[in-house]
Order: sequence, then structure tokens, then C-alpha cells
Amino acid sequence: MKTRIFTTLFFGLPLAVLPAAEAPASKTDDPEFVRKAALEIDKHVAHWYRRQRMEVPDVTDDATFLRRAFLVTVGRVPTAEEAMFFLEIEDENKRTQLIDYLLDSPGYSSHMANWAFDLLRVADSKPGSRGGFEPYREWVRKAVDENMPWDDLTRELLAARGSMWDPDEAAVGYYLRDRGMELDNLANSMRIFLGSRMECAQCHDDPFGDTERMEFYELAAFTHGQGTGNRKPMSGIWDEVSHEDRRRTIDYAAAQVLWDEVFGMTLTGGGKGRIQLPGDYQYRDGEPGEMIGGRTPFGSTVRLSDRRDAGDGRKELAEWVTQRTGEQFPSVIANRMWERVMGRGVYEPVDEFVPASDTHLPAMMNELITLMVDLEYDLKGFQKVLLNTKTFQFVPNPKPSKVQSGDDFHGRQLTRLSAEQIWDSLITLASGNPDTKPRRTADNRIRVRGEVVNFEGKTMQELSDEVLAIDSEAEMRRYFGKFLASVKQGGSSKGDDDMMSMRRKVTRYGGNAQVRASELPSPAPRDHLLFLFGQADREVIESSSSEPNVGQVLALMNGFVQEQLVNNSDAHLYKSLDGASTDEEKIRRLYIAILSRPPSDEEMGWMLDEVKASGESGYRNIVSALVMSSEFLFLQ
Amino acid sequence: MSDFQSNRHDELTRRHFMSNAARWYLGVHLAPMFGASVATAASAPSGAKAKNVIYLYMSGGMSHLDTFDPKPNKKEVMGPLEAIPSKADDILVGQHLPKTAQVMDKVCVVNSLSSKQGAHEQGSYIMHTSYAMRGTIKHPSLGAWVLKLGGRLNPEIPGYVAIDSSQELTSGGFFGAKYAAAPIGSASEGLKDSRKPAAVSKGDFDRRLALADRLNKQFHGRYENADVKAYQDLYQEAIRLMNSEDLKAFNINDEPQSARGLYGNGRFAQGCMLARRLVEHGVRFVEVQLGGLEPHYDNFAGLEGRCQEFDQAYAALITDLDKRGLLKDTLVVVATEFGRTPEIKTEHNDGRDHHPSAFTCLLAGGGVKGGFKYGETDSTGSRVKKDEVSPQDFNATIAHALGIPHDLVVMSPSQRPFRISDKGSPILDVFA
Repeated sequence: MKTRIFTTLFFGLPLAVLPAAEAPASKTDDPEFVRKAALEIDKHVAHWYRRQRMEVPDVTDDATFLRRAFLVTVGRVPTAEEAMFFLEIEDENKRTQLIDYLLDSPGYSSHMANWAFDLLRVADSKPGSRGGFEPYREWVRKAVDENMPWDDLTRELLAARGSMWDPDEAAVGYYLRDRGMELDNLANSMRIFLGSRMECAQCHDDPFGDTERMEFYELAAFTHGQGTGNRKPMSGIWDEVSHEDRRRTIDYAAAQVLWDEVFGMTLTGGGKGRIQLPGDYQYRDGEPGEMIGGRTPFGSTVRLSDRRDAGDGRKELAEWVTQRTGEQFPSVIANRMWERVMGRGVYEPVDEFVPASDTHLPAMMNELITLMVDLEYDLKGFQKVLLNTKTFQFVPNPKPSKVQSGDDFHGRQLTRLSAEQIWDSLITLASGNPDTKPRRTADNRIRVRGEVVNFEGKTMQELSDEVLAIDSEAEMRRYFGKFLASVKQGGSSKGDDDMMSMRRKVTRYGGNAQVRASELPSPAPRDHLLFLFGQADREVIESSSSEPNVGQVLALMNGFVQEQLVNNSDAHLYKSLDGASTDEEKIRRLYIAILSRPPSDEEMGWMLDEVKASGESGYRNIVSALVMSSEFLFLQ
Repeated sequence: MSDFQSNRHDELTRRHFMSNAARWYLGVHLAPMFGASVATAASAPSGAKAKNVIYLYMSGGMSHLDTFDPKPNKKEVMGPLEAIPSKADDILVGQHLPKTAQVMDKVCVVNSLSSKQGAHEQGSYIMHTSYAMRGTIKHPSLGAWVLKLGGRLNPEIPGYVAIDSSQELTSGGFFGAKYAAAPIGSASEGLKDSRKPAAVSKGDFDRRLALADRLNKQFHGRYENADVKAYQDLYQEAIRLMNSEDLKAFNINDEPQSARGLYGNGRFAQGCMLARRLVEHGVRFVEVQLGGLEPHYDNFAGLEGRCQEFDQAYAALITDLDKRGLLKDTLVVVATEFGRTPEIKTEHNDGRDHHPSAFTCLLAGGGVKGGFKYGETDSTGSRVKKDEVSPQDFNATIAHALGIPHDLVVMSPSQRPFRISDKGSPILDVFA
């Protein structure tokens, strides 16, 4: 009942909040369930405090909670209206209601998308390779939006096969992205999903870990044998057009679309299940070039034959990872979610699995693992429970963790906002709630040399389906002839309507758009604020950086902040001054808009002096100073 | 990541440093730290001629066989490419590097690099920091070490700049953000936002900073946190930078058309041009990355394009520095994390995989011998046959060229000892 009032009041304000996608029912839809589950976690933390003979910290004030909840769940600061609303209402359940509101908002999906893109290294394209990965990006975005359970998502990625242009099979992008680097891809998979660092074992027994080179290859056997679509019907054409002197012709460019973007973006073969040891294999337990069968190195053993191709090795791998590694799979994702919400993992680095019994609070780690499994890997639900704990609400703690490599549960450590949180917050201040803007969509039109081509109004998916169905050279020549003719004529007259409707559906943003990071090119261009503030390059797993540098400071003092925020009287944050009559009230509202809290008496004094001394530009100076301040850049 | 954040304070064990400082102050060619007056360049140890470094990083693993270690007698590892002669006797280069061939009389080719790190992340990390990646500490990059131990030549502009580079590889590590590279995302855009906006009066600008300063002191008082403090320090730096005459160094649009013609127009070319300007104005260490090397698949198709970009820019840079009399003071490094397999994988459309056991890096300028080859691989470029050089040895050589003692021990905030090139030793043979 109360929740409805809360959200209705929010809806009553001049904000348009888009309803979230239809999600399946979750255990955490029941507030009692959430309350009980959160309490269990708090009990473990309380036990920790007793053991450490320390006092349980206080719960933090409303303003700190407000800002923290927003940044953690939806990746941006609240608008002035959202902030004022929360700070002014008096309802003992308002914190829970705020969390419900935030988790249901589209901002949650945008912020999670950034996390997924960083973890899975989802980029728009790959340096040195033709074609892009848009449909794959779209697939991941959609999966996050629909709160796809983590185990399902893992299986879909690891067992993917088919054509990237088919929205149902686009998960193949996970492998296509690492075409030719299958071993690196496998090492990444182990790190992402199982917290097992095996990169070194590609070349030699890992001196710092457990994995032997043989074990690495036995795992690689599962994903071995990644083919492209059957290019044979086209190889005649290809040889002709890719001859030195024909490479500059439009024929070659058109052929590339088929060769690289249709065939090249198709993943065939399901995983042979056996692989040859490399030519430089250096240990006694195998011969270079020897064929070995797949075998899993831990958890419950899965073995595949070395005598014949299994054909579904990737599927077997997916099943093993998600269902036959005991506590490992759920522990790693639970720990990643704990880090996301609480600021530090229970064990760190979160990329390196630690059995619950070896952590500093085994009972709680086990609780989290059980909860994750109980919730069937519903990541939103899991985070909801964590957000409702008292532990999440502790006052900030500036001291480093007392635990060598993990969370000491002593209150949130001060961390700098991520590049995305900073950008998303700045655009909120400049142009209001960014979640009201249309989302980026994939462009499925056929392009040759960057120009859209009307080939009978077909999409890339239709082109791909048709091309992949061709099995004779003669038929391919006919088809290619038709395609080339369309390209040369500048399009067929058929299909104009289709092309128009496709164009209308496409929403793309260049680097300058004031939209959330999740809708911008991935990664953002190197002259973007996001790059400056350390956005991940999406080449390496979770490679974002929160290191300060002088360029960041310049961006805050001059540049974007100055033009779009401080000096722009149309900036959204100035709207919150409407109706304020006194200097005090104006200053108070600016503080709430930017720092999500009212000023202290001392601060009010400084700011009033400033306004007295500088008049109208005093307000601009105040805005500039607040956005430049460390308090703005750090999460408490 | 959060572990290193909590350990990072801008400290140095003074006692330890000072005891070593006396040793290397003598004959040191560099401006010392802590604001002391510039040490006179009393007889520098042979080799310590360089004042600046331009570090060109070929990200992704540059194939040595297709570039600087060709094997003309082995068709099966050369694929479709030929080797061409260069201006230096006995040095051949890949056929896609004709302009570079013309400047090889100034270049020292080190063919015997060998590493144990065959994965990109780990390989790049060890090349840049001399240490293996660990989850527990973040090591400073080479540029950060040079800046820390050598100080700035020009106090007003950053001493370490990274153009089009990954921030992870150019970080200050446990030295702190002060020693991280100032990032330039796009050479043609230069240092963004480095001018006070015209719309803001100087008075207002100063007032803003004063207000922000008050807010920050308050915040810092509540939360004594190194990361927070780092931002405070950077504001001072930013202001010095904004007021500096040398800010124009960052603007390559000041370059005449002839210079652009010499270097070429791509990102890397512009990065090289900017790097030259920056060292002219006293930036100590400039890194420029050339990416897009991932030739597991279809090595030869992408190679030509990448080589062309590199070829023109590198040759231009060497020629330009030489013409301006800067080459003797500037060490130009070409580095990469590993090489590529001699074996050409036909099933991957003629690709080459990672090959850390033998690869090539280059040194030029800064007192290094020109037209010189150090180290040798076997007939297929598979293993090092003579004079093996580890990434640490390579970095020690760079340190030596600058007159930085490679064996100076510095303690991290967590009280662990580190050196600029770990246990590497400089290759003295490469110095004239």
C-alpha cells in the first residue's frame, strides 16, 4: 500500500518514468521474503562484530543513503526533484520504497549493462577486424534488461552457435569477438564465470596457481573447432575479387560483406571435445601434437573422447560450469554482486574464487551462496536483498579494510565514482533524468563501404539467412550478381518502404550526445569524458580505472562542465531554483541538486558570502565549485 | 583493484632513498627531486645521454618475422613477404617498411627479446612495469619510474604523457596519481579543456577554486583518504598547466603542412608528431600506442595497413628529431609484448599466434649505437640463439640511457622493495 503511494507521488511529479520490461515473478517480490533474507545477512555481520569485539556502526543519514542508493542501483545521482522528495517525506519505510522504485526504473538496467559490458568485454567492434558486433551488444543489453538469470545467461553464451544476425543466436558474439584467440577466450570464460585464473596455463604450468598446461588444454578441447559458415560456394567469387588489382573495386567491398559479415559472423560446430596438444608441449604427460579428449579439472568430472568429435563440447562446458562445479559458480557471482552493492567483495580480488570455508566469514558466504541458488540466479532480486540490509546502510568508513583481502563489513569504503557514474550524473544535472531518452537500438541495415544499401528492402538478418542457405556455386553467383547489381545501382526500387521503416527504428548516438554511457559507443571515443575518467577499454576484463589525472580535473574546471552545466542557464539543475525567493533557499536547492544534501550552517555562510560578493555569477561559482569537489566525485 | 587503492599513499622511505641518492647524484644528467637545485652534469656514466624518452608501443604483439627479424632463407615462415635491405649494412627489414629501411642506420635492433608471458594483459604489463601482474599491488609503469626518479624538466607541464594509450599500462602504480601519465585521447585534439573558458573572468575562476578548496579541506578532514587527496593535488597541477606558456606544445595544429606531410595523417602519425613537440618542450616521457595488431586470423591482410602507418610515422620521427638535433637527447623506443609464431596457421586464414619466446624491440637515439643489431634468433625466428634479453633487461637499458640507476631500491607504501626494472641488467653493448 505504502509503496504504491510512494511511486504514485513520484509519478505525479513532472517526470516520465518508463515502465520496466515485464519481468517474471521473483521470490523477492514478496517484501517479507526480502526482509527475512536481509535480516539473516545482518545477523552474520552482527556475529562478526561480536567476534571482533567491535561496536556495530550506526546507520547513515538520509542524504548519504539517498545518494548511495541511487549511485549503486541506477548509476547516477538523483535529480533535484527526486532528492527533495525523498528528503522531505516522513515514512519509516521510505528507504525500502526507494529501493523498490530504483530497481524498477530503467536506470537499473542501464547501470547493469555497463557492468555486463565491462565483464564480458562487449565492444561495438574489434580493432583490426571488419564488421561490428552490434547484434551481440543488443543481445546482452536485452538480457540485462529482462533480468535474465545469470546461469541461463552463462549457458547461452558458452553454448552459443549460429549466426550473429539472428537475434536468438546473437550470443555467438561472445566467441566471435575472440575469433582466432580461442585459448584466450577460454581463459576469460574461466575467469568471468568461475573465478579461476588460467591465463598463464596456456603456455606452462601455472607457478602461482593450480592449473597445469595439460588441464588447460583438456578444457580447451570443449570449445575447440569453431568454424565459420560454409564459404565454399563463394570461394570462387572471393578468389576473383580479392586479387591485388581488384581490391579497390566495389565488387570487393560487396563481397566482403558476405565473406566477413555473414560467413565470418557465423559460428558453426558445437565444440569437438578433443584437441591436439601444441607443438611446443613440454611436459612428460603428453606428446606434442597428441590428440587428447576433454576433461574438466575440478568440480564433478566430465570427460569427452579423444577418438571422435563430440559435436556438443560447448554445451557440455556450459552445463559443467553452471551446474557441476559445486559452490564455485554461485559463489563467484554472489561475491561480484556483493562487491557491486557493498563496495568490496567478501573475498578479493573478485576474479579469484575462494571456497567459503577459507573466507573470513564462512557462515555468511554460505548464506549468500544459498540465497543466490534459492533465487535461481535472479541478480536483481539478489541485489534487492543486499540493498535492504542494515549493513548496506552503515555510515561510510574512510579507513581501508581491516581484512587483508576482502570486506571487513565496517561500512562502505570511500571509492571514486566510476567513469559512467560521473558522466551519467553530469548529464542528469545538465539535462534532467536521462532515463526518459530513447534507448540506442541496433542498425540492421545492409551497408557497403559505410553506405546503406537497399537490397530489396532486406535486413542483414534476411541477407544472412539467404546466403547461408545457398549450397552451390552457381546459385551463389546468381545471388551475388543480384546483390552487386543493387549495390551498383544505388538500391532497388523494391523495398523502399521497408528501408524507411528500418531507418525510423534506428537510434544511434554519437560521442557528443547527452545520453547515458550504456547508450553511447562502446567503448566511448578516446576524446570523451568517459575515457578521461577511466572507462574500461572492453578489450580486457573489467579494465576500468579510477585513477585521477590532470585531464579529469581540467574537464571539471573547463570544458563540458562549464559549457553544459555551469554556464548554461538552460541546464536542468537551474530549474530547481524556480520559485525560490531567498538566497538561502537557492543555495539549499543547488546543494540538493548537486550533492543530494542540504548545506551545513558553515557552508551556508561561505556560500552566502559568495553570493553577496559576486551577485548572479556567485551562483555559477557555487555550482562550479560543488561539481569540482571531491564530495561529488566520491561515493560515501 | 580496491586493495591497491587502500594501500596507495604518496610515500617514499626517505632514509633508503637518500642513502642511494648520494651515489647517483654524481654525474647524473637529470634534475633531481624534492625541489633541490639542478645537479650539474658532471661526467655522466657512458650511455647516460638521454634526457627524454619517446616510447612507441605496438599493442597486441608485433610479428618480428614480418618486420625487424625477417628470415629471407625460410619461405615457409615468411609467407608471401620478402625482406628488403636497409641503409644499415647487415640489417634487413620486412618489405612493408621501406621508409623505415632508410633510417635504420640510426636504429639499434634488439632481436633477442624473450618473455614468459604469452597473454596480452600479462605480457603488456610486464613490458611496461618489469613485474608480473599480481592481484595485490599495482606497479608503476616505466614512465612513472622515470618521472619519479628523474623529475620533470619543465615544471609547468606534465612530465609523463600517454597518447592514445591504455590508462592501465601508463599508471603511477603505488607512486600515486601524480606520476601517472596525463592522457591524451586524440593527438589532434591535444590536451582538452586546458584553457579557461572566455566566458569566465579570472576573478570568478579564482573564486571557484577557493570555494572548492574549502569544500575539499572539509571533506578531506572528515575522510583522510589518499584518493581524495590526490584530486586536491591535481588542482594545483592543473592551474600551473593552464598558466603555462608551454601549453602550446600540445597543439599539433601549429605544425606546418610540410611536417604533416612527412609524418602522415593517421592517429599514430599525429601521436608521433605530438610526441616530438612534447619532448621539445621538456616532457620527460611520452608514450604513443599503435593498436589493432591481432593477427591470429589473416595476418597478412591487416599487416600491410598497420606497417604503412608505422613505417611513415616512425621514419619521420627519427628523421625529424635528428634534423632538429634532438635525437642525441631522446631515446626512441619501439616495444611490444611478444612476437608472433613462425608457423603460419592456414586454418586461420594465414594467421600467426602469440610467440613470447623470441621477439624484437628497437632503440634509437639517446646515445645508442645506430645501424646495430643486438642478439640473434635461430633460423626460423623461433628461439633466441644469442644474447637473450628479458623485458627487465630491456627496461634496465632504457633506465641506463637516462642515467637512472637500475639497481636503486625504492620501498612501496606496503614496505616492499622495488626497482625500475626489477632484476634486469642494462645491455651496455648497445651504447656508443
